[in-house]
Amino acid sequence: MRRGFLFLMTGFALTIANLALAQEQSITVPKSIEAGSAFSVQCAGSGEGTLYIVGPGQVLRRQVQRGATATFPAGSLTHAGRYLAILSPSQSPPDAGSNPVSSFDVVPAAQPAKMSFLARPSRLPVDIHNAITGAVYLFDAYQNLILTPLPVSFELTNPSGAVQKRSVVTRDGAAWTAMDSSAHEGTDRFIATTGEVSSTRAVVQVTGDACNLRMNVAPADGKLLVQTDPVRDCSGNAVPDGTIVTFTEAIHDEKTTVDVPLKRGIAKVEMPAVRDATLTVASGVSLGNQVRWEK
Amino acid sequence: MIKGRLLAALIFAVTVLLVVVGTRWPIPSAAAYAGGEQVVRTASTPEAAVNNLCEKIRSHAWDDAYNSLADKARFSALDFQHDLVGTYPGLLTYSNLDSFEMQPLHASASEAEIRLRLKWATVVGPSVVTRQLRVVRDGDRWQVEWPIASQPPLAPQVIPVNYLRWDVIDRGAGDDWGMQNVDAPHVRIVDMHPVQRAEGTVILGELLNDDIYPAYVSVTATLLRKDQTAIASEGSFDKISHVLLPKQVTPFLIQFPDVTLADVGSVRMTPFSSLIATSADPVIEIQGQHMSPAPDASLSGQLVNQSGQVANIAHVLATFYDQTGQVVWVADQYVDRALLPQTPSPFNIHIPEDLARKIASERTVVASYSFRGAES
Amino acid sequence: MSRHLMIHCIAFGLSACLAAAQPALRVEPAQPQGSQALAEQTRSGVISDYLSAWQSMGSALEQNRPELLDRDFVGSAKDELSSTIAQQASLGMRSRYRDDAHDIRFVFYSPDGLSIELTDDAEYEFQVYARDKLQAAQRMHARYVVILTPGAARWSVRVLQASPQE
Repeated sequence: MRRGFLFLMTGFALTIANLALAQEQSITVPKSIEAGSAFSVQCAGSGEGTLYIVGPGQVLRRQVQRGATATFPAGSLTHAGRYLAILSPSQSPPDAGSNPVSSFDVVPAAQPAKMSFLARPSRLPVDIHNAITGAVYLFDAYQNLILTPLPVSFELTNPSGAVQKRSVVTRDGAAWTAMDSSAHEGTDRFIATTGEVSSTRAVVQVTGDACNLRMNVAPADGKLLVQTDPVRDCSGNAVPDGTIVTFTEAIHDEKTTVDVPLKRGIAKVEMPAVRDATLTVASGVSLGNQVRWEK
Repeated sequence: MIKGRLLAALIFAVTVLLVVVGTRWPIPSAAAYAGGEQVVRTASTPEAAVNNLCEKIRSHAWDDAYNSLADKARFSALDFQHDLVGTYPGLLTYSNLDSFEMQPLHASASEAEIRLRLKWATVVGPSVVTRQLRVVRDGDRWQVEWPIASQPPLAPQVIPVNYLRWDVIDRGAGDDWGMQNVDAPHVRIVDMHPVQRAEGTVILGELLNDDIYPAYVSVTATLLRKDQTAIASEGSFDKISHVLLPKQVTPFLIQFPDVTLADVGSVRMTPFSSLIATSADPVIEIQGQHMSPAPDASLSGQLVNQSGQVANIAHVLATFYDQTGQVVWVADQYVDRALLPQTPSPFNIHIPEDLARKIASERTVVASYSFRGAES
Repeated sequence: MSRHLMIHCIAFGLSACLAAAQPALRVEPAQPQGSQALAEQTRSGVISDYLSAWQSMGSALEQNRPELLDRDFVGSAKDELSSTIAQQASLGMRSRYRDDAHDIRFVFYSPDGLSIELTDDAEYEFQVYARDKLQAAQRMHARYVVILTPGAARWSVRVLQASPQE
């Protein structure tokens, strides 16, 4: 019984001693530090030691004098995340349980410096509801995702100057919107802005296939000059330059064909002038008029 | 043991002997292939004279070949060389004469006529050029009269071209992952049809660029068994026009040698497209397309380069349809000379005998490549 | 009989070890914000690739081998971890992450399908070694914000950032 009491008292005394030692060797770190800002770590105790700051984004090591404050200048810790500060004595071999340790967070800077703007699609048919989407992630100057809510403005401007606007507040660093494609062909500018940061994407609105394709035929220096009217889709939008128009001239069992790209809205070409030849025009799935050359 | 050593010594001695004999007295053709002298014999017969000329052409000895001609006063050595391999860089410029065949047509004591088939080895396969030669006797030797076919020089002129070109800006090497590249062009397979041929299974079809930008395209086909396991996968390689302008259609042909169509349960088609920087020119007209019936069924015509830019390589692709409009065959031909502006250049595409009767219509497209510009 | 018993015991022991090596996983079923629904196949693919990324990160930081990150990390996440490995190697250090539990919530699926954002309340054991001597061992509990983007065959971690607990 007496022996048992002695053991209990010894254990109690050792625990108190350990606690006192830990108190003496503790380190104090701010709970949270803004990325890139200066900070300091207080190392209690006496003698020399090594201070480690370790996280998945960065590792720092500093020789420190216990009882003093170790200061880290701005730009020392830039990557947001959870870090451990560990104070290791210089002399005695370390024991995993005895080194004073403190965890703290590095949080992103409040000011956005960069955004990732994902806009889709890069081109689409005209006049489609909510077909253009934009998603934004906001980052600080050190590539940390800013998680505090921030307003983002989305603007889609078509060539005639008409603007669609949306304002969205980020959640968990992200914001998104959807917009309508314009009624007319052309390249729209899709801009996302927050504070001083903005990013622009080009979104091309595409017309449909050629509609009511028509050509005219006229003699020119012993040949035939074949030329289309301005080529438009069924909504009256100009079909883009470069679109292939195929002219065919057939007579008996022979034919002549030529694929001509639209330039400035029309396609034109010279073809052989053959009496009684039949000329046809087509683009993609659209067939145009037919002309019989009888001269 | 002794027998083995004796045999080894004997083999060594014979090898040394053969090396010495081969080096000292090589056979003429071996010497020619090794880059030595040509296989030139005395031109004592018309065939020997033509043979000598062809050997000189084979070894690119243009001046020697020119000097051996009977009618060299009619044209210069450069005209002769240009007649053979082109004035402007083309397919024949970068080829070698692989072989030649002679067919005597007529012979007398003083002159003979020989049809000569020159088979050139080009980067896209063999190209055959046929010429009818007159060979004349001069004393005890025969000399070839070369039927020069010089191209008329172009009249000096200015051809106005509204140049249309597309350039592509890709995202940079930096890691702004939000800045995605512009979407790849939308392409569509508008027809696909597997057929059984003697050499195996062939996939025929057509691909449309359904976008507003030019596309670099290719097609891969995977043949699947009835249990959906893959038999083989092949690409269209050069039986396709790889650059398509907006709304342009190309045929494609994919060959699966040694695969029987009866073993094929289904076909998985994978079209590929990417944006490409290119121009809309040159525009090439295909004049006088004419189908000759079997036997010797063929599609012939002339290519006319309507722009002012030389098109160095031209690839003619023809799609043949039956009465229902289904693709029954795809055939192609490379034109071996550069297409000069406004100058017709003939082509002739062979059509397989058994298919010729099924063909009701055709559509021909041309892909061209200019050395100073991109393919179009 | 005794041999059979031994085989069963070994098999049980191995499966118990393997089960112990797998972190506990909980995934909130709620749909993330964004215009399109997250398909079940995409959801399970993302989770599997994300858990695999933790394994890669653990191995890379423990062995100071940045090439182990190539399969699962891209962009800034890969750059940061690679730079940490370089710093560890130059200081004669290494660190060991052993993830014990993940509580995952999908928060954003971008309308183009080109990115997924999730949060993960992760519990893990974190050990730090200097000159091969253990300096600290700590159980950690942190809320990670993760952005993954699709690659050719799998989802890769582009942002992996611990944030203060809410």
